[in-house]
Formats: sequence, structure tokens, C-alpha cells
Amino acid sequence: MNAYLSQVKAIVWKDFVTEFKTRELFSSMFVFAILVMLIFIFSINLSVVGANQVGPGILWVAILFAGTLGLNRSFTLEKENGCLQGLMLAPVDRSAIYFGKMLSNFTFLLIMEAFLLPVFMIFFNVDIGSHLGPLLIVVFMGTLGFSALGTLLSSLSSNLKTREIMLPILLYPLIVPIAIGSVRMTGQILDGKSLADMMNWVGLILCFDIIFISVSIMTIDHILEE
Amino acid sequence: MTESKPSPNPPAIQVQGIRKYFGHLEALRGVDFELKKGEFLSLFGPNGAGKTTLIGILSALTRPSSGTATVAGYDVKEADPEMRREIGVISHASFLYADLSPLENIRFYATMYGVDQAEERAIEVIDEVGLRPRMHDRVRTFSRGMLQRLSIARAIVHNPSVLFLDEPYTGLDQHASEILKEQLQALHTDQRTILMTTHDFSRGLEMCDRVAVLVRGKLALWETVSNIDPAGFERQYLDTVDQAKEWR
Repeated sequence: MNAYLSQVKAIVWKDFVTEFKTRELFSSMFVFAILVMLIFIFSINLSVVGANQVGPGILWVAILFAGTLGLNRSFTLEKENGCLQGLMLAPVDRSAIYFGKMLSNFTFLLIMEAFLLPVFMIFFNVDIGSHLGPLLIVVFMGTLGFSALGTLLSSLSSNLKTREIMLPILLYPLIVPIAIGSVRMTGQILDGKSLADMMNWVGLILCFDIIFISVSIMTIDHILEE
Repeated sequence: MTESKPSPNPPAIQVQGIRKYFGHLEALRGVDFELKKGEFLSLFGPNGAGKTTLIGILSALTRPSSGTATVAGYDVKEADPEMRREIGVISHASFLYADLSPLENIRFYATMYGVDQAEERAIEVIDEVGLRPRMHDRVRTFSRGMLQRLSIARAIVHNPSVLFLDEPYTGLDQHASEILKEQLQALHTDQRTILMTTHDFSRGLEMCDRVAVLVRGKLALWETVSNIDPAGFERQYLDTVDQAKEWR
């Protein structure tokens, strides 16, 4: 178990060192998310539509679109110089490779969201400070499901020539339950409701998080082989 | 996963009737051979003969369609973690992360192989391939020759007993080839079995104990190097390939 954990840790560490040196992933994800929000802000009249009604949807669209950029890069990095083959040669359980990559993607997204939430607050003039706790829980749960499924599909599409196109085509239909749940919960939290009032949504997102992680563990062996 | 135990004193590599299909294409058509511990086999063959596929199967990256193969006594189909610890692979792809330094790369692979004192061992093998002065630079800035030397460090960091070298001289200039040759010779010990595929006859013949030619997925020649005339090998190779092309 110790060896397994140190392998997962080594993969996360390697991704972080690479990102720290290149700063390619974070900057592109963050700038893209800001641009998505800006485009929506210019196309919506916030004096007619309530920010609490449209804001959560726009926030999650920005997170999912920007996250897709990061996921696309995730396994492309492993393909350069045949590094994935190098990893496959090592006595590493395939699920350790999956968890390492998933935790990297998850953490990169959380960091990006930590910068994005204050921007969202300013753009939409909403007070997230008083609902920060529940909002962070929703962001955490939604991002976990997105990273879990996204990492699996990123490993699948990385073998395809059309990977940049295939990843969103595969990912977006499957992520719908988590996207809907996250948007609804974010909206209700901004309206001042507590998490206890929306346990059905919490349950839904947690169920899909568990399903996506379980399916990934069961299939990653076959996806990474050949 | 089922643990496959190695048989006592097994051949280092044993291949029996290995076939591999990619759709309708038969890449390997029944390959059989055996290598003892410490032997060095140079495997020649034209492009598309199946050399890389064979190395892929023996290093448990690809599953054979039929037949059996063992490496260090382990069945390659089981892809046992213990078997992976016995194998090192050097290919024309370096398997190195371009934005990490040599030390970061080799320490990473040492951790993946469960090597004790990963950092110390990484520095030791980087030193062995003569890259210690550059061990903190980004790999992206390295020449092809330096990359290939660092690949050696990556492949031996866990001290494997079997090394697969897939066209290691590809893209190297004369000077880099000479350095690589010296380092490969240093790796050839009584305890380490090496299988190298190459198109370079002189490099292949001067280091090996056995010579094989693979054509259209089958072994067309299997000889000890003492039975090979280096001066006439190019003619012998071309004749062997021409004859084998008539196989159905």
C-alpha cells in the first residue's frame, strides 16, 4: 500500500513540477475561464435577469470548458517522448496512474477555481462570502466528478488523432448529471439556502462521483493497454 | 492478479510460437528462440519485420495473440510486477519528461520501480552515463545523444537483469554512437541478458554473442556470432531477406 501511495504521489509531484516550470496549464485554463465569463456577461443584461439565476450556470460552463483544456493536456504530456509507455513498463498498478493523473487534474482545477470565484463575485456582483462554506463543498464535489470522468476519457482520447474534438464529445453528455446538480446547488446556495435543504442534489452528485471513480478503476487497465 | 512464480534456473528469455495479429495483419508468425543469462542477441531485420512488436511482447506492453514467452522465468502474459522489475527498455523514444531535469526524471522512475534511496540511486546512474554536470538542466535542452544516454540511466535505475534495446542508435551522430556503444558494452555483464534490434551491422555484430534476422514476422537466421563473417554479413543478410520474402 505504501508503494502504491508513493507511486500516486510521484505522479502528482511530477505533474506539479512540470506545471510549476512551464505555467502552461494554469494560465491557459484561467484566462479561458475568464473569457467565457466575459462573453456571457456582455451577452446578458443583468438588470433584467437576476445574477443568482444565470450566474451559477455561467460559472460552471466556464469551469467545465476551462477544465476540458486541462484534461486535454493531461495525457498529451504523457504521450510526449513516449512517457506513458515508460510508465506502463514500470511495476505500477494502472489505477495508480489513473489516481495520480486524476488528483493532479482535480488539484489544478481547484486552484483555478480559487482564483475564479472572486472574479465571478466581482463580475456578477454577488456576495459569496456569506455562503462560502457550502459553496466550496459544491465546487469540491462537482470538480471531483468532472476530474474523475475527465481523466478516464482523457486517457481514452489521447490515443486518437482527433483527441481535442473527441474529449468534449465524449465528456459533456456524460457529465450532464453533475453539471445540472452543481448549477442547481450553486444557485440555491446563492439564494441563501443551506445544504440540508438540497440533500437530494448532494446525494446525486456524490453517487455520480462514486460511479465515475469506480468505473474508471474497473476500466483503466483496458484503456491503457495497447 | 495471479502471481506467476519463476521456474528455478530458467533461460533469461524463452519464446515459443509467438504470433501477433493486428487485425488481419500477422506481424509475428511463430517466433521461437531461447537466450541464456548473460547472452547478448543482436536482432536484425528490415522495417516492418516485427522487431518492435517482439520487444513490445517481451516487455509485456503488448499481448501476444498466441504462443508463450517468459522473461527471467516470468510469463509475459501475466505481466507480473516482479517481471517488470527485471526488465529495462531503451527505445528510440526516450520515455523522459522534457520539462523535468535528469535528476527529477530518473528519481521519478526510481520511485515508480520502488528503488530504495531513489535520489542517491538516480545521481549514481546519471553519473554513470556522464551527465552529472547537467543533472539540473531541463531535458528539453538536451541533444539526441545526451537523451539516449539519459535513457540508459532511466532503464538501469532499478538494475534490471534483462535489457531490451530497440534501435538505440537511431538518429545519433558518430561521436554519440561511440559513447553509446561504450556504455552498452559496460552494461553487458554475465548477469544481464541483452536483446538489441538494430540496422547497424557493425555495431550489432561487435557486441553480441548471437545474431538473428527477423523477416516478415519469422526468424530467418539464428547463429552464434562466431559463425558469422563480419565482412560478408551484409551480403548474407540481404540474401536471407530476399529468400525469406518468398515465404508465404
